[in-house]
Amino acid sequence: MAAVGRVADGALSRSRWRTGLLLALPAIAIFALLFIAPLFTLVANSFRTQTGAFTLGNYERFLGDPFYRGVLWNTLKVAAMTTIGCLLIGYPFALYLRGRSPRVRNWLALLLLSPLLISMVIRAYGWLVVLGPNGPVASVLKWIGITPPQLLYNDTAVLIGMVHVMLAYMVLPLMGSLDRIDPTLVPAAKGLGAPAWTCFWRITLPLSAPGMLAGAMIVFSLTASSFVTPAILGGPKVKLMPYFVYTQATTTLDWPYAAAIGFVLVVVTTGLLLGYARLLRRGNGDVVFG
Amino acid sequence: MTRLLGRVFAALVGLFLVAPVLVTVASSLTTTRYVTFPPQGITLHWYAEVFRKEEFLSSFALSAGVALAAAAVSAVVGLACGLAIHRHRFPGRGALEAVLSGAFAVPTIVLGIGLLQWFAQMGLASSAFTLLLAHLVLTVPYTVRLVLAGLAGLDRSAEKAAAGLGAAPFLVFWHVTLPAVRGPLIGGAFFAFITSFDDLTVALFVVTTDLQTLPVRIFNYMQYDYDPTVTAIGTLMVLFAAVAVVVIERFVGVARLFGADAEQHR
Amino acid sequence: MSTSTTEAPAGTAVRRGRLRLDGVRKSLGGKEVVSAVDLETEPGEFLTLLGPSGCGKTTTLNMVAGHLTADGGVIEVDGRDITGTPPHRRSMGMVFQSYALFPHMTIADNVAFGLRMRKVAAAERRRQVDEVIEMVGLGGMAGRHPRQLSGGQQQRAALARALVIQPDLLLLDEPFSNLDAQLRVRLREEVVALQRRIGTTTILVTHDQEEALAVSDRIAVMADGVIHQLDRPSEIYLRPGTDFVAQFIGEVNALDGTAAGPAADGYACRVAGVTVAATPVGEPPAEGADVRVYVRPEVVRVGAGGNGLTGSVRETRFLGSRIRCVVTTQAGTVTAALPFDAEVPEVGAEVTCAWRPSDASLTAR
Repeated sequence: MAAVGRVADGALSRSRWRTGLLLALPAIAIFALLFIAPLFTLVANSFRTQTGAFTLGNYERFLGDPFYRGVLWNTLKVAAMTTIGCLLIGYPFALYLRGRSPRVRNWLALLLLSPLLISMVIRAYGWLVVLGPNGPVASVLKWIGITPPQLLYNDTAVLIGMVHVMLAYMVLPLMGSLDRIDPTLVPAAKGLGAPAWTCFWRITLPLSAPGMLAGAMIVFSLTASSFVTPAILGGPKVKLMPYFVYTQATTTLDWPYAAAIGFVLVVVTTGLLLGYARLLRRGNGDVVFG
Repeated sequence: MTRLLGRVFAALVGLFLVAPVLVTVASSLTTTRYVTFPPQGITLHWYAEVFRKEEFLSSFALSAGVALAAAAVSAVVGLACGLAIHRHRFPGRGALEAVLSGAFAVPTIVLGIGLLQWFAQMGLASSAFTLLLAHLVLTVPYTVRLVLAGLAGLDRSAEKAAAGLGAAPFLVFWHVTLPAVRGPLIGGAFFAFITSFDDLTVALFVVTTDLQTLPVRIFNYMQYDYDPTVTAIGTLMVLFAAVAVVVIERFVGVARLFGADAEQHR
Repeated sequence: MSTSTTEAPAGTAVRRGRLRLDGVRKSLGGKEVVSAVDLETEPGEFLTLLGPSGCGKTTTLNMVAGHLTADGGVIEVDGRDITGTPPHRRSMGMVFQSYALFPHMTIADNVAFGLRMRKVAAAERRRQVDEVIEMVGLGGMAGRHPRQLSGGQQQRAALARALVIQPDLLLLDEPFSNLDAQLRVRLREEVVALQRRIGTTTILVTHDQEEALAVSDRIAVMADGVIHQLDRPSEIYLRPGTDFVAQFIGEVNALDGTAAGPAADGYACRVAGVTVAATPVGEPPAEGADVRVYVRPEVVRVGAGGNGLTGSVRETRFLGSRIRCVVTTQAGTVTAALPFDAEVPEVGAEVTCAWRPSDASLTAR
């Protein structure tokens, strides 16, 4: 630790980079051994048969089987619906937040982030109760005189649970984008004779597009790779890729196949995020995530 | 009119956000043997039930132990790594930064199965220690990021000033550098704690039947039982998280954890 | 004179703090930013390193403070070689542009920091801290945190923190540049008064030429890593030694001519067929050599007849404290800044521009 406080930033001496390397070593070790190595193992295993021979069979099986193609399709569909749901609720909410005092904003932001800070299991369990046969939704429906339909273990239940968690990831970049819009633009447009709706449509909306795009990317890819919430709220009937990674790995014990499904998932989600990050670095992106 | 509409909308969103927690907490008090909302009657029976269930208590101990270790290790590793990245050049620095930011983008479930297969290949039997190792991958990027934000806010001249006033390098670190990252470190440690404590996805792959963290235990319990015990545990965990949130908010701001403020990101 | 190095009563000039730089060099990022700087201060002197950004003045100061290590050359204080001494073993009180107050400590704790590092006993520490805080005019603010203070107050606190350790040298790195204009002037007057009183050798780094002229005993004008001229403010101003010094500080009339030999008062040279006189900086040039004469507008007198450059008045402009008068002469345009109560010539009038030879400088071209 003794060298940490050194302030002189002279030539790049050997001892200086040694200090840096030494300080970073634990983190490097953690990520080399517990992140890079497992991911490599995963990729390597996905090209193997159960006995260890090289094969492309796992991918052929995944892409060739209409059932698994359906799973992939359904995963993308649920992710897209969640993204749209977050946008529909998140955009007006971000607009509402924009006009509030910093105090109110801070509280509402905390409220928005609260689902992320509560145990996933408990959060999903809460929705199980809310949407369950003895829950408040069913009670209200009964009280009105409607026989409550099955609210759980379908795409809608997963959608509700996912929008609940993901809303923050949509609203935060949106708020960032909205905050950066020059506040004199809308009055200027109004002064030129534009009605409020036109101002929104022609100025606010296009200028907040980067935030929308960022939010959408994050929500989409995080939803596509979520396991716990869909597993609890959707059960085995809602067929999503993470669920199959899990069952193949722990129930069927077909590790190479689980690895292949996992790798497809990485390509779909991480590829999307990294591509987006690159896009940002090229333009002067102003969007936040991870 | 528009104002009122906005308020109603915001209130509805707020209700949506708190609904699962609200309902969980309320229905933990029910006297019925099944979960129902609104609760019928008021009893603390289910809380007593939680403490009577041996397996929940041992799972809590395991989760808390691993989470504490994860918090402590992440803080130390995050501090060292943050300092290295912020003020040193060394071979592999760029790669490390890329991995740290890329780690957020890899699905947890993929990490889980990757670790499962890698540990098996290495012949590492699942234990509290392997669970801790797995959780570090989830928590260290956050602490590094927060430390970096703290260091970015520190005027390097303050360190020069301290040195000029006669402080030896270690004293400069102790009196000037460390206080600047104290808040981020405490906030980061608490966040590491709840991340580890709440993790289900990775734990599902790393645990065995006799080594179950609290979330895994609850997850499995839910498959068979539908009594209000889980709501009682859930309430306790929410309280737990609330304390952590207050601490994090106090020291770094929750929004910052998720990259909501622009400055620290640039 | 007292030579005590620890307890110098206020009001007594401290006979220490002789700084000497000998051939000091520094490269940063592969570029030489300070090349062979030589410098020597008198104890108690207020010396300013003046130059544009990137001229190496801050780098030089940081080498004196020990935050950067010189690539070559020697840095001495009172005969001790401190070239390789780490900053915490030097005794330099430094005030930074950003003030660099420790944000998590009160003003009293900030000021006490250096004493704490020197293991001064608590009671004595408190006494000295109170004294210096009072001295910089922050009485009653000791318990506050830096963010609760205004920019000027923070600056005073930083000054107190630097002075309380009774440093060999007081190093000021652009200390006034974050303050608004009025406060800047007031604070620098206070700093000069304080420095005169306690007599600590002071090195100021600034890019503000007016500030340098106002506060310094001597000014070292730096550009591209070298000292162009090191002299008293009046010398620097009236008799710039290089084109850079002439152009960087204030406005100047530069007249090209050839050396004509020593004159009664100064040195004569022919400019556009007219003989004018000025004072050579350094070695007088050989007769017939190409020379340049620098004349500040303030020293140019405009009148009818007499010796000097003749020409017609192109424009006059009232500037408040001065009247600016531009004359087209045979040697080109000459600008004069006349006292506001001077007789102002008509535009178009034929006039002569003259100056005292001691008020103009002459350099080889």
